[in-house]
Amino acid sequence: MHANNKWYRQFCGALVAVFLWAAVPMPAAQASVVGTDASVQIAQHAQVKQRLHQLLARDDVRQQLIAYGIDPAEADARVDALTPAEAQRLAGRLDDLPAAGSDLIGALLFIFVLLLITDLLGLTDVYPFTR
Amino acid sequence: MRLTRYALPLLAVLALGGCASLRPVPMPEQVPTEGETQVPVTFFPQEKYQCGPAALAMVLDWSGLEIEPADLTVSVYTPSRKGSLQPAMVTGARRRGRVAYPIHGLDALATELEAGHPVIVLQNLSLPIWPRWHYAVAVGLDPATDQVLLHSGLTPQRRMGLRTFMNTWRRGESWGLLVLPPDELPATADALDWVTAVSGVEDAGQARAALVGYRTALARWPDYVPAWMGLGNVRYGLGEPATAKAAYRQAVTLDPGYALGWNNLAQTLADLGEHQAALAAARRAVALGGPYRDEFELTLEEIEK
Repeated sequence: MHANNKWYRQFCGALVAVFLWAAVPMPAAQASVVGTDASVQIAQHAQVKQRLHQLLARDDVRQQLIAYGIDPAEADARVDALTPAEAQRLAGRLDDLPAAGSDLIGALLFIFVLLLITDLLGLTDVYPFTR
Repeated sequence: MRLTRYALPLLAVLALGGCASLRPVPMPEQVPTEGETQVPVTFFPQEKYQCGPAALAMVLDWSGLEIEPADLTVSVYTPSRKGSLQPAMVTGARRRGRVAYPIHGLDALATELEAGHPVIVLQNLSLPIWPRWHYAVAVGLDPATDQVLLHSGLTPQRRMGLRTFMNTWRRGESWGLLVLPPDELPATADALDWVTAVSGVEDAGQARAALVGYRTALARWPDYVPAWMGLGNVRYGLGEPATAKAAYRQAVTLDPGYALGWNNLAQTLADLGEHQAALAAARRAVALGGPYRDEFELTLEEIEK
């Protein structure tokens, strides 16, 4: 009886220890370090925006914008206001852009893409499918 | 069934006949004109519909892992689709501590093969209306004959004309996948793409491999802030707050406006018992704000308690 009692107390002690351990909140530290995926997303967003700004800074693009009655500074401001999803959508099209001063087909493609971008920025309304 | 088997190639020929792309595809400039490029990759023949596991096993084996296609079937192959989806190929590599790095286009493919990196390529061997998707491993280029060398299906070093290859590859959006050990950068490496790929390894729970990946990034791009963040996060996750602190500190030194860096530094300092410094860093993160402002405020609240 005595030995049994001792075993019983030890068992209960262990049980209490387990409950106490479980009741201790997990360190919140793990939760409040922001993960690398966030860093990567922010960097991607910044890179896309930078590309858009570089595009808008090109002389030929600026001239086109002005020809369409668009203030280049306004275009820049709207690029800054794009959400990551919107910016990403544009980025997919940017690779199709020809280098400055290329041939006629390149120029046509260029105007197409330019209008697409201004459309997405809400500056023009040429392509209904971007809505 | 039989009809489609014969009708499709015929259709393919007809469709190609009207296509302007019959002009030869020029070999990319980075390929030397003499002698063929060939990466030594052990060939694994595929089981039925198992081109995904076979292709992944070949590049994983090349990267230094001992592996058979059968080991990969469960994690890569989707029975209902009788195939392997691209994301499954990517995660299949990450789960084994390898960096899965997608590339696009012939120039990148040639550059990587030239650097001795085999590339998994996704081809559509048929036409878009009746796709027959296939993974092969590109192991070489032969400029003398304008051919691509592929470990494909049951054939090692299958030679395919560059034009045919490009037609089948373009239908797969010219998607290629490098599977590299974390200390080996792609020849076409871009800092953000590499760190993105390594963060996938980190998410797959391969902390040690991710650590090596971030270190490799920093050896090439010592000032690249997201790589310092990744290094800090992995070390933090491994329970090494002191070394994590140093990495976060480096990130905010390089870019004092980097709110994420301040937040993670704050948390680490708090863990280390440096209360005042933690408070200052957390306040800085909140002041900088941005899309993770809520998290920053939570950090600050917990430190203020």
